Amino acid sequence: MSILRNIRKKPKLDMNPMTDMAFLLVTFFMMTTTFKADLPEEIMIPPSQAELKLPESDICTISITDEGKVFFGVDNKHSRKRILATISGQRGIKLSNDQAEAFSLQSSFGVPIDELPAYLDAEVRGKYYEQNGIAIGTEGELDDWIMTARMINPKLRFAIQADGKVKYPIINTVFETLRDLNITRFNLVTDKKIDVSES
Amino acid sequence: MFPNLDEIEVGKVHRSDDKEKKAAKREVNVDMNPMVDLAFLLLTFFMLATTFNKPQAMELVVPAKPKESDIEKETPVKESKTYSLVLLEEKAYWYRGITDPSAEEISLDQDGIEAALRAAQEATEGMIVLIKPLETADYEDLVMVFDALNNVEAERYALSEPTDFDIKLQNGKE
Repeated sequence: MSILRNIRKKPKLDMNPMTDMAFLLVTFFMMTTTFKADLPEEIMIPPSQAELKLPESDICTISITDEGKVFFGVDNKHSRKRILATISGQRGIKLSNDQAEAFSLQSSFGVPIDELPAYLDAEVRGKYYEQNGIAIGTEGELDDWIMTARMINPKLRFAIQADGKVKYPIINTVFETLRDLNITRFNLVTDKKIDVSES
Repeated sequence: MFPNLDEIEVGKVHRSDDKEKKAAKREVNVDMNPMVDLAFLLLTFFMLATTFNKPQAMELVVPAKPKESDIEKETPVKESKTYSLVLLEEKAYWYRGITDPSAEEISLDQDGIEAALRAAQEATEGMIVLIKPLETADYEDLVMVFDALNNVEAERYALSEPTDFDIKLQNGKE
């Protein structure tokens, strides 16, 4: 009898609470996050103590990398299609449905309009494609994109997301472009600065 | 489930291993491991591929471009109320007024700039800050200056073109 009792029972682990926990975490992340807009290039945004939240919808993001390349993006997929249709119509460029579809999938892009058909036909896009940015200034196309975006969505708000190391002249040109189009209120995207000292 | 009344034999107890081929209730051992693996995979996927909503933003309002006819109507600003902050790559200059001011060099740190701004606020009612970033100024310093201005609650500030004096500052001192 005593020999039988000494055989150790294998410890049984109840996995239920752990799976509950795992699914809770998954649900939490599913609800509270959005997919990161995969930027073509890394942008190190400067920190600030500003606590204003970026609006969730109707945003047009103008991104500037540290090399001074300018990218343009609108948050709504349908808006992107309509903007593309307007721009290509204005310039007389014919784009196929596949190309329009490819364009609407990009959260932001940085190629000149001439290069756009080639870019949309390319095997891979986004950060796998060498994008050199949209031209700014008087000879540039940025104002056309902004103007069209505004036309399609009058409620559009503008956010400038620039790398901290960008030199001022480019920033100034972008500011001036917006001012020329009568856009006087816009946001600068910043990183939350952790306030270590009490001021 | 209930035994047939006809089949009950007095004296015999109905046991679970009877000849009747009723499917005996067996203990089901479900292996939870794959499900847990899946849950953690999903979790990892969401953690890596997404970002918390709403990055911070700082609002900036710039004055509208004046139309040709409006330029004469612009009210002149009292020179003594304007303070200029000239931004270069590694440092900044801070001075009061426009004609022939004496510029002092200050470092590009937010506390220093805030202190200078507060001192100016004490000294001047309705101070106007002109921010003049030169070509070599970095964007992050500009954001830091806006931050400082918001912290001291400066009401009137603007980005403006550098004057000849500012350009001389850059060439002279660098």
